[in-house]
Amino acid sequence: MSSYFRITLQRSGIGLTKRTQGVLKALGLRHRMATVFYPVTPEVAGQIMKVKELVSVQEVAKPLSKEELKAERRPDPGFYLESAARR
Amino acid sequence: MFGAFKPTNSLGGGLLWKIPWRLSKFQKARQRKRLRAVDTVVATLDKALAKKSITTKAVERWKEEMPVEQEMVPRDKYTIFDRKEKKYRKSIRKLPKWTRVSQRINPPGY
Repeated sequence: MSSYFRITLQRSGIGLTKRTQGVLKALGLRHRMATVFYPVTPEVAGQIMKVKELVSVQEVAKPLSKEELKAERRPDPGFYLESAARR
Repeated sequence: MFGAFKPTNSLGGGLLWKIPWRLSKFQKARQRKRLRAVDTVVATLDKALAKKSITTKAVERWKEEMPVEQEMVPRDKYTIFDRKEKKYRKSIRKLPKWTRVSQRINPPGY
């Protein structure tokens, strides 16, 4: 069974060492609240340990696409459209 | 106002920024929250790796050496060791980037 780390950058790396900022760059975390998915491997775990103060991590079964991530953020519209009942 | 022991003020080029030595209760609460957030990240990594029966040196070493937030004494949460300071302790806010770096253990006996 494969599982993935869902990594979200919570705190910016501005002003931290080149090494820390480099790890963020290598993980593809360019902006705060950016989310990336990586398979559970010792290499990725080591990278996360370098930036553990800046990120939040979850273990998920499968990675989400960009569209799915956007749909997650979309707020509840507060209404729904009724369809006509069949007569 | 005048005399030998008048306080220096900002106009006289004296101390203008007065930073309180202690953290407020809200700052301390946020500090604990940050410590727990790091604990959560490490626990998540550990659980995910354990499922695949992988061990990683960085995670193992952290677990072995670093106390979790609940195990730490307040002294270590809010102050750090400094050899130049009176009583060898100063507020953790004096540590550069203190909200984004881990500083949990201090020399034993201090």
